[in-house]
Amino acid sequence: MKFLVVDDSSTMRRIVVNSLQRIGFADTVEAGDGREALEKFDASVKFVITDWNMPNMTGTELAKALREREDGRHIPILMVTARSVREDIIAAMEAGVNNYIVKPFTPQILKEKIDALLSVAAAG
Amino acid sequence: MSARHELFYHTEATLRLVDHELSEHHAVHAVHAAPDVPETRDAPRAAVAPLSGLAALPLILERALAEIEAVLASLRDNRTALETATVEKLQRTSDKLREVTTVTEVAATDILDALERAQRHVDELDACDESGDRGHARATRDLLREELFAMMGCLQFQDITTQQLAYASSVLTDMENRLLAIARLFDPAATLARTASAAPDPRTYAPDATALHAEERQALADEIFAR
Repeated sequence: MKFLVVDDSSTMRRIVVNSLQRIGFADTVEAGDGREALEKFDASVKFVITDWNMPNMTGTELAKALREREDGRHIPILMVTARSVREDIIAAMEAGVNNYIVKPFTPQILKEKIDALLSVAAAG
Repeated sequence: MSARHELFYHTEATLRLVDHELSEHHAVHAVHAAPDVPETRDAPRAAVAPLSGLAALPLILERALAEIEAVLASLRDNRTALETATVEKLQRTSDKLREVTTVTEVAATDILDALERAQRHVDELDACDESGDRGHARATRDLLREELFAMMGCLQFQDITTQQLAYASSVLTDMENRLLAIARLFDPAATLARTASAAPDPRTYAPDATALHAEERQALADEIFAR
């Protein structure tokens, strides 16, 4: 299963990719912002993990753009961000994000959220 | 009321007083200078004539007063804008910068602790080599991997502090521009000695980014997404 990891911080991308590898998901593709993510998004991508604050196109804009595409309408989107104000979390949900992780996160939380979203996707 | 604010008000009050005195003087002078004023009045026309050069003075001073009042009003506006828009931001920035120090120190301590534990695991692996205890060696290797992984997780502070510093930078740039606007009240040609720095792109940082209370913040997100 291929994961698209989107974050403007290369440190965070490495941490997320390393965490994914550790929990058994070695197939990843990286993007530095939402615009690059849209360019790299294709049918092989089955899961999107995105930051919120990025140049050119933010994570919520990316979520909205993906939801408007036929091939992105049902893809699980997990947001990993430093934003944690109630209004922001609700805005992310309204943009089409399926679940939300607050930075700094633990690998356990990442695994829990991915497992939960994959089981929902499998059931749907 | 601050000393500077008080000074503005005193200055304005004094200028108003001067204005009042000048207006009175101007009125008296106008009466004396009027053609239908008989010379038998207290001030003979001959005596008034030398004042005609001064006749414009009250008007000039009135105009100067109006200009000073406008500058004072503008200064007051800018002061209020500075107070309301930036003081709170500066205090918040100060808090953020303190948090950067704390978070950096906590991350460094956590990494050092994990390194020390990793070193002990390596020592244990050496001991396992000598004793041939493969089971213990396997368990120790797993623990070592956990420590290395935890160290990587600690490095998330870099992303959060980057966002906090971007916020601090944006506040300082805003202050720089506001102070420049005030300087231009006195000298329209006022410029910065260096090119004004561009504020960081607000899309690239979260103003409330923090590394603190992650569990509580995660609980809030879980609660909202569970609905």
